[in-house]
Amino acid sequence: MIFFKGLMLGLASGAVCVTYCAPLLVPYLLGRGQNVLKNLLTILYFMGGRLTGYLMFAVIAWAVGLAAASSMTNERAVFGIISIILAGLMIVYGFKSSADNCAGKKANFFSGKLNVNNQTAFPAILGFLTGLNLCPPFLLAFTEAARTEALWKSMLFFAAFFVGTSVYIIPLAMLGLTRRMEDLRYVGRLAAGVMGLYYLYSGILSLKGV
Amino acid sequence: MANNNRIDHKKQLRTGAVKAFLLTLPMLLLTGFMMSKGQPLPKEPIHLIPFIAAYLFINGIFFAMIYTGRTNRYRTILFVTYAACFVLFFITNLIEVRGSMVLTQKDMVQGRTPFCHMVIPMVIIPAALTKTIIFPGSMLEGFASIGTMLVLWFGVTLALGRGWCSWGCFFGGMDEGFSKIGKNPVIKSIGKKWTYLPFAILLVIVLTSANAMYPTYCAWLCPFKAVTEFAEITSAKVLLQTVIFFSLFAGLVVVMPILTKRRTQCGLFCPMGAMQSLTNKLNVFDIRIDTNNCSQCRLCVKSCPVFALDEESVRKGTTCITCSKCGKCVEVCPNGAVSFHIKGTDVSGNERKARLMFIYPAFFLLAIMGSSVIIGAIYRVLLLMTTGSMFK
Repeated sequence: MIFFKGLMLGLASGAVCVTYCAPLLVPYLLGRGQNVLKNLLTILYFMGGRLTGYLMFAVIAWAVGLAAASSMTNERAVFGIISIILAGLMIVYGFKSSADNCAGKKANFFSGKLNVNNQTAFPAILGFLTGLNLCPPFLLAFTEAARTEALWKSMLFFAAFFVGTSVYIIPLAMLGLTRRMEDLRYVGRLAAGVMGLYYLYSGILSLKGV
Repeated sequence: MANNNRIDHKKQLRTGAVKAFLLTLPMLLLTGFMMSKGQPLPKEPIHLIPFIAAYLFINGIFFAMIYTGRTNRYRTILFVTYAACFVLFFITNLIEVRGSMVLTQKDMVQGRTPFCHMVIPMVIIPAALTKTIIFPGSMLEGFASIGTMLVLWFGVTLALGRGWCSWGCFFGGMDEGFSKIGKNPVIKSIGKKWTYLPFAILLVIVLTSANAMYPTYCAWLCPFKAVTEFAEITSAKVLLQTVIFFSLFAGLVVVMPILTKRRTQCGLFCPMGAMQSLTNKLNVFDIRIDTNNCSQCRLCVKSCPVFALDEESVRKGTTCITCSKCGKCVEVCPNGAVSFHIKGTDVSGNERKARLMFIYPAFFLLAIMGSSVIIGAIYRVLLLMTTGSMFK
């Protein structure tokens, strides 16, 4: 029953979820210029990260209960910081040329420590941070999970919610059909950078409580 | 040899005065009917003079275009005049109706925000998903209603594709006007990758608008808010938005066009231009380069206002997808190798016909868009001269 409820909520609100994940995922996938299968794999890593984020929230939701959960939604600082980290990742991915192999690269903190071309970790981190974001469907799921009395039920609910919403995200792999259009890679990378600036602004506003 | 070719080409596009007048007749009739809306001419001089002045000016430009064979030179004169008149007409109209250029919360709630074409890319996905137009304007009432602009844009897009940006857009003439200041460019080249930025911004605003359910470009990035309307400054957030609008306007519409002698806002930033570029494939007109006559001088590449030509496209005998069909490359080519073209026809031998076939709908669009604002602007100036105020 709890699985079914989570799944239905995910299916019902998945379209809204896509509008939250797509601004990150679409530029990223276009920027990579991979085929459909590789895109599917990237999306799986992204969703793996997202599931981890969800399950982490499932534990929190179960632990803090509904009253504390609702007060936590007012705490915007955490989400501001998450948005700023996401912004940093997107800006580095967007504006750092993948072909840049100069010697100075090692000296650069972001270039040296953060490999934006890592096809496993980078989308997983993006997914994880997206999973921690408070989109309206996620808030609904959070509230519902906070009502459950057992940890496994809360986790099962979030897992089912994840499955339901994923139905809408998987089709983004079809962007791989455009991989022959070399120009779209530049567009995707630049869009990721611009999107990063947008997240940076959102994060700062959240931190300031605006 | 090149010089001879150039003279031949100019001669080929030139038309005798009588023939040019005959070719102008349809435009005289069309614009006369369109500008008068089928009504008798106004009797008061303050309304009659602007009408006649605008009518003669617009048709004089068309005649000159046909007679001299120079498309871009005369298009630019009308296009820049139209943009300047638009600013004067729009601002005075806003002040008369609302009292200031400031857009208040009340205006938005009452749906009194004029809808411009820049919003179109952002409303499509939310309209498809939620049957809601995410813009605080009126669907059919008032001037610049959502319905009117959508219908106009759709028709023009089918007919001209990105031709909209050089023949219809009331903002395009602003950076084009500033790009004419000064003789030589200070910044001579701009990296190819920056020409992808309008597409990136298009992608970002489409996705963020679908997510936020409001037109994010209008709220945050539109440089033309500086010369049209902007939200009332009631918070630090709105102040920041206003600073962004004015900075983008100063940078992309004034300074960069002067330094590069190109339309930098249109070529390097405008998401609407990027969307129109995608529709370029839908219509029958394009620009072709006869590779047999091309001497690879790169004059067309250097002078394209919207960065729509590069070495590769010239080698292929065509423009990039971002061509706005302004006709500048046709004019600057010393060998007459560049011409307007109708898809599916031979490149050489049909230049004259193709140019005429293109000019009629394109110029008529410019006349439709420009006539009312030119009349309006002349009226305001006359009002100022006769009464000492631009307002009734």
